Amino acid sequence: MKLVRDVLDKELLDCEEEPMGRVDGLVMHAGKSSQPRITHIEIGGVAPWERVHPAFAWLAKRLARLWGPKRREQVRIPWSHVETVGRDIKLDVEAKETGAIDWEIWLARHVIERIPGSGNEEADDGY
Amino acid sequence: MKKMLQITLGIVTSVGGFLEIGSVTTAAQAGASFGYQLLWAILLGTICLIFLVEMSGRLAAVSKHTIVEATRERFGFPFFFIVLIGMVIVAFLVLVAELGGIGLSLQILTGIGFPWWAIPVSFLVWILMWKGTFGLIENGASLLGLVTLSFVVAAVKLHPDWGSAAHGLLPSFPGDQKARYWFVAVSILGASISPYLMYFYSSGAIEDEWDETYIPINRVIATFGMTLGGFLSMAVLVVAALVFHPKGIDIQKFEQASLLMTTALPKWGFIFFAMSMLFACLGAALEISLAIGYFFAQGFGWKWSENLTPSRDARFCFTYTIIIMLAAIPLLFGIDPIKVTIISMALTSATLPLAIVPFLFLMNDPIYLGKHRNGWVSNAVVVIVVLISFVLAVISIPLEIMGG
Repeated sequence: MKLVRDVLDKELLDCEEEPMGRVDGLVMHAGKSSQPRITHIEIGGVAPWERVHPAFAWLAKRLARLWGPKRREQVRIPWSHVETVGRDIKLDVEAKETGAIDWEIWLARHVIERIPGSGNEEADDGY
Repeated sequence: MKKMLQITLGIVTSVGGFLEIGSVTTAAQAGASFGYQLLWAILLGTICLIFLVEMSGRLAAVSKHTIVEATRERFGFPFFFIVLIGMVIVAFLVLVAELGGIGLSLQILTGIGFPWWAIPVSFLVWILMWKGTFGLIENGASLLGLVTLSFVVAAVKLHPDWGSAAHGLLPSFPGDQKARYWFVAVSILGASISPYLMYFYSSGAIEDEWDETYIPINRVIATFGMTLGGFLSMAVLVVAALVFHPKGIDIQKFEQASLLMTTALPKWGFIFFAMSMLFACLGAALEISLAIGYFFAQGFGWKWSENLTPSRDARFCFTYTIIIMLAAIPLLFGIDPIKVTIISMALTSATLPLAIVPFLFLMNDPIYLGKHRNGWVSNAVVVIVVLISFVLAVISIPLEIMGG
């Protein structure tokens, strides 16, 4: 497996095959006596913006403070939750428990579901 | 039988959805200013579009990726971000132009100025997206767009000199107004080769769950749908060449263009023009709004589908909602949709390499396409046309700006 080709930027699916973002960053641990190994997948937050330019990461952080869900820390999923790596990367976690779709849930609750016809009335399996 | 139906529907929707404010304005301007001389630009743009649309469908059918998803994965977030900015700015300008086109059509029908229509029209587009399904948007709007076939009726009724028209299919150099000639050629190419159409088409293939068995169907739809669509653009140019060119009328305003069909169809021409523009721009506005929503959702890995209720894909719906609201603002302030159209078509040409070069890399990548990779003919045609469009755009846009 090649990390940049096969993992970075790939779509992530949770245990119910629901999209939960893309692999925006990878965290590696390099101990003094152990081989370097991937420990976490980063999703959303400042992770993708840091790859463009630190100024964008700073801006993304500032904007997130003004508006949106309260979670502040970067969403990181331990690599041990990766089930398969193929067209997508399947994880054995539930997306809403990880914080990866906090924005999706926040926007659904605070904006979209307040607009008539959003489908919230008939769908119990919404957020 | 089912596949025949899909092919027919695919071709019909491609034809009905082909014309929009950009293709009509640029073709009408070309015909009015240069007679049949610029027919070659429509031909060149249409050939390129046939290849690009076929590729977009093939990528989705084989790799199960839309163009945006594959671009993000293959080239990484920083490069994707640059493409996102370029494409969204251009698509946004085109959306403003299309919403303005609906407003202008209503203006000539009702006499109420287009800025007053900005909010009702944006609301109509939004509510169709909010409540509609992908099928409704793809088929419904395009079927209404078939009224644009009236341009062909008008062209035939004017009895054009087919020999001279055929002569226009070969590129020629202008006698005078050189800068203007090349600028209009660039705008025609920009109007024909619309990247948003590729994003929309590849997302549609995923929405409709295409697989490799759809490759032949895709080829037929792309070839016939876009060819017949190209004929529609040519019909607009021919009508303008016959009606406006002999009188030396240069189309600068929508009201002038609205008289396109009245010579051929004195009784109904005006209504047909207004209805054609109304439905053509409505269809295009829906496609562009969806394409922008898809661009963000697919690039960032959000849940997306026009077939889900908005509460199930909140970020996707929020994105198109904001984009449509923002697009209404310039129109409220009375910005001229025709000027926005001309600028956005030329900008489309100038930014084509940004959209097409990474796409060509994907289409030649065995990881995504396997044995269905591009052949040299597809690559050569697209590279040549995109290069021509880009070079002409870089040269002619500054000349046009300096000239007026």
